[in-house]
Amino acid sequence: MKGDTPVNSTMSVGQARKLVEQLKIEASFCRIKVSKAAADLMAYCDAHICDDPLISPIPTSENPFREKKFFCALL
Amino acid sequence: MRSPLIPEMATQEVQLNETLAHLKSESESLKSKLEEERAKLHDVELHQVAEKVEGLGQFVMKTRRTLKGHGNKVLCMDWCKDKRRIVSSSQDGKVIVWDAFTTNKEHAVTMPCTWVMACAYAPSGCAVACGGLDNKCSVYPLSLDKNENLAAKKKSVAMHTNYLSACSFTNSDMQILTSSGDGTCALWDVESGQLLQSFHGHAADVLCLDLAPSETGNTFVSGGCDKKANVWDMRSGQCIQSFETHESDINSVRYYPSGDAFASGSDDATCRLYDLRADREVAIYSKESIIFGVSSVDFSLSGRLLFGGYNDYTINVWDVLKGTRVSILFGHENRVSTLRVSPDGTAFSTGSWDHTLRIWA
Repeated sequence: MKGDTPVNSTMSVGQARKLVEQLKIEASFCRIKVSKAAADLMAYCDAHICDDPLISPIPTSENPFREKKFFCALL
Repeated sequence: MRSPLIPEMATQEVQLNETLAHLKSESESLKSKLEEERAKLHDVELHQVAEKVEGLGQFVMKTRRTLKGHGNKVLCMDWCKDKRRIVSSSQDGKVIVWDAFTTNKEHAVTMPCTWVMACAYAPSGCAVACGGLDNKCSVYPLSLDKNENLAAKKKSVAMHTNYLSACSFTNSDMQILTSSGDGTCALWDVESGQLLQSFHGHAADVLCLDLAPSETGNTFVSGGCDKKANVWDMRSGQCIQSFETHESDINSVRYYPSGDAFASGSDDATCRLYDLRADREVAIYSKESIIFGVSSVDFSLSGRLLFGGYNDYTINVWDVLKGTRVSILFGHENRVSTLRVSPDGTAFSTGSWDHTLRIWA
């Protein structure tokens, strides 16, 4: 289904120029320290963990998938 | 050995080669600079910072529903915003809409092609999009009349030059984002079928995509057979960040709920977390005992858990912050090909080559 990654053949000048331009854009990116990024990821988890039904289980009666009785729609 | 007929041609050829060599060395030095800049900010590992975080308890997650009805491998699925309906697509060309609470089938469409590798629910819940080996993405409005022939109202929206690997509506029913085996992603207007923007940069088939949570602006991430995950600006078509740490095809990408990071799953049997503001990989989720590829990943609501569907028929559940596996789930009898957490996080659904879908909670 998936194609093979093509072997890197000789690049044309146009392609090489595009690559240099792309790398310049990526190199100029404003990065933050991993410690700061990690702290923010942790803070997000912490703020939302109580609302995460798969971690802080809500009463079984409120989770339609965990309920034992079958959910019937009354027409 | 060619001998140029005219001296000027020789000079031109030399000049061209010099330019190419110059550009190549410039790109090499830019790549080194990128690595240097990224390394300077790599002051700590995520799992080290997370050592002080409370560990997660024991997990009791099991199959709560099994959706049977596909005649062949399930390749893709998506949740409706109503948190109960699901659309799934299969190798046999069938696209089915289910009520996951009752397991009833609400709609079924037979596509003209086999291997429907992509499907998506419209935000309104009133339509579904799908495609695969037909190289197209088509939209089917869902009718309330169960007897109506859905295929009659089909609308062809996207046209690629190779298979459609993934599709997603943007914030409305009006635009669709697609990725393809032709190496590109594209944004389309549903009503007119017009191409609004195309995204070039992958060197091989693009296998997956995910839109950033709406609060974080107009970007999306894509993963491909070139082992790269690229982040794109939807308006300009520009690739703004690129990550190449996986050792094989990237089958799935999914944003962390805050939009500041994304996870990926690959044929190299690992899942990885990339932080967008630190511009680097910050975690690898792997074990020596896990040797089969990851087909699909998704986060729990808080982002603390990462669920991965694997080609060894299992689902591994990872603690995103600590980097450890918290649970392994069994049930499917063949590869897990697709996995999505429900919109309100109460459950997650998996689709498999064993022809079924399972709802876990």
